[in-house]
Amino acid sequence: MAFGLRWAGSGAFLATEIRVQLHEWLAILTGTLTPGALLVFVAVLAPDLLAVTVIGALVYSMFLIGQRVLNEAAYIRIDHKLNELYHASPLSPEGYFVGIAAGMLVAYLPPSLVLLVILEILYPLSLLAWLVLAGCLLAVWAVSATIGYVVSTLFKDMKTIWPYSALLTNLFGILPPVFYPLRVLPDAWRSVVLVLPTSAATALVNAAAGLETISADETILAALALGLEAIALFAFGIYWARRTARER
Amino acid sequence: MAADAVLRAQPQRGRVLPAWAWIGWRWVWRSPAAAVVPLLQPFFFLYFLHWIAPAEYFPLQVAGAMLFSTQNIGSWCLSDSAVFRIELRLQDIFVASPHDKIRYLFGVAFSNLIPAAPALIALGIILALVTSVSLVGWLVLTAAILTIWVLYSAIGIAVSSRLRSQREVWPVGNLIFTLLGILSPLYYPISILPPIWREFAHLLPATYAALLVQGVLGLGPAGSENLALDAGLLALSTAIGLVAAWWLYQWRER
Repeated sequence: MAFGLRWAGSGAFLATEIRVQLHEWLAILTGTLTPGALLVFVAVLAPDLLAVTVIGALVYSMFLIGQRVLNEAAYIRIDHKLNELYHASPLSPEGYFVGIAAGMLVAYLPPSLVLLVILEILYPLSLLAWLVLAGCLLAVWAVSATIGYVVSTLFKDMKTIWPYSALLTNLFGILPPVFYPLRVLPDAWRSVVLVLPTSAATALVNAAAGLETISADETILAALALGLEAIALFAFGIYWARRTARER
Repeated sequence: MAADAVLRAQPQRGRVLPAWAWIGWRWVWRSPAAAVVPLLQPFFFLYFLHWIAPAEYFPLQVAGAMLFSTQNIGSWCLSDSAVFRIELRLQDIFVASPHDKIRYLFGVAFSNLIPAAPALIALGIILALVTSVSLVGWLVLTAAILTIWVLYSAIGIAVSSRLRSQREVWPVGNLIFTLLGILSPLYYPISILPPIWREFAHLLPATYAALLVQGVLGLGPAGSENLALDAGLLALSTAIGLVAAWWLYQWRER
């Protein structure tokens, strides 16, 4: 039992989360603002980078889901005190974590679909590039949802959480080459940023789409880093959900 | 009536701004990381723009970042006054006190100017390093910042008075202030914008603040007639914005 996974109540909780989130159309809309702003900057100042930026916006949007998980998990726990009710119910802790993460993924998918359409118009992708894109987006979701959930359990009030969630998205989404191409960075920084989940995902998709050239070694580094981070962090998220569900 | 008499017997004067400044300072002191993080946003944008934009736009973007940071104070005012009203129920106490709504508005705006000041000072130092700024330039920049501060703080507090849930605070604040920040030509010259966007930007006060600052600093068209026109339109659009905020602002619960 200690190592096995229990999924009691997951389906019902996932459906609840999706329904709750779909009512938050304003939050879904505002999720598009920062990527939209950066797309505007690029469209105005460097239109030749637009396809790279749209791919970056897709990766960023997926990373932003972690911020939503952070806000939602904190809101349920701090503001509504609902998580105690959930944990007292047959819903398992892992079902709670995965339910929030997957609920956010489904609810926040529509803006990403719009970006996919824009990308297809601007720069049609090959089948391989589509597959790489899908795999990378799922890996980024797994990483960001876990970070969001774990961080949400560390705070006691909502007002303090907002700045930290903004810091995480900026550190992972704006600073590394997500919205701009890897090639503008000095060579010494390349291997460092390829270890970060967001810039690794962007570099892999850009390379598969023919928008960026990265060496075989860099491809292996980025793919291994992203894959390991996604699997290890998601497993940690499940462990953390079980741990924090215990009464203290 | 008896309550009014009791109220009149209480002290009617006080050091309102220092008290609110103390609230702003306590926020920085108690949560330094939480206070610093929102200030990083304009620097993140500057970093991104440094990679994609022509280098000659950098001084303009630093000046724009100062206006953008000031505009963002409105978002913090929205968040603070919503927390005071919805979560802490503090606004009821302010309403019941001799502290009127104008002082409340200025107080919340002033308390949020305190944590924003370090970023504005840092950006000012960067601006002085990347371009020469005359005394008149600093005065105009300061006046533009103060105008934007008053207007966007008023908008933030007015909008927050209409919110019903904490959950609405973050998306509504982001929607209003990020959109306004991007639509105004704070980070790029207005001349490179598409015509429709340019026309729309002329409806926003921050556009005139940006044009005025860019003109005075020699980063954009700088004819004296242009500058006077931009200053006049900034004053006019700010007045219209303040009237709209006043109309929207709800001081007492209904």
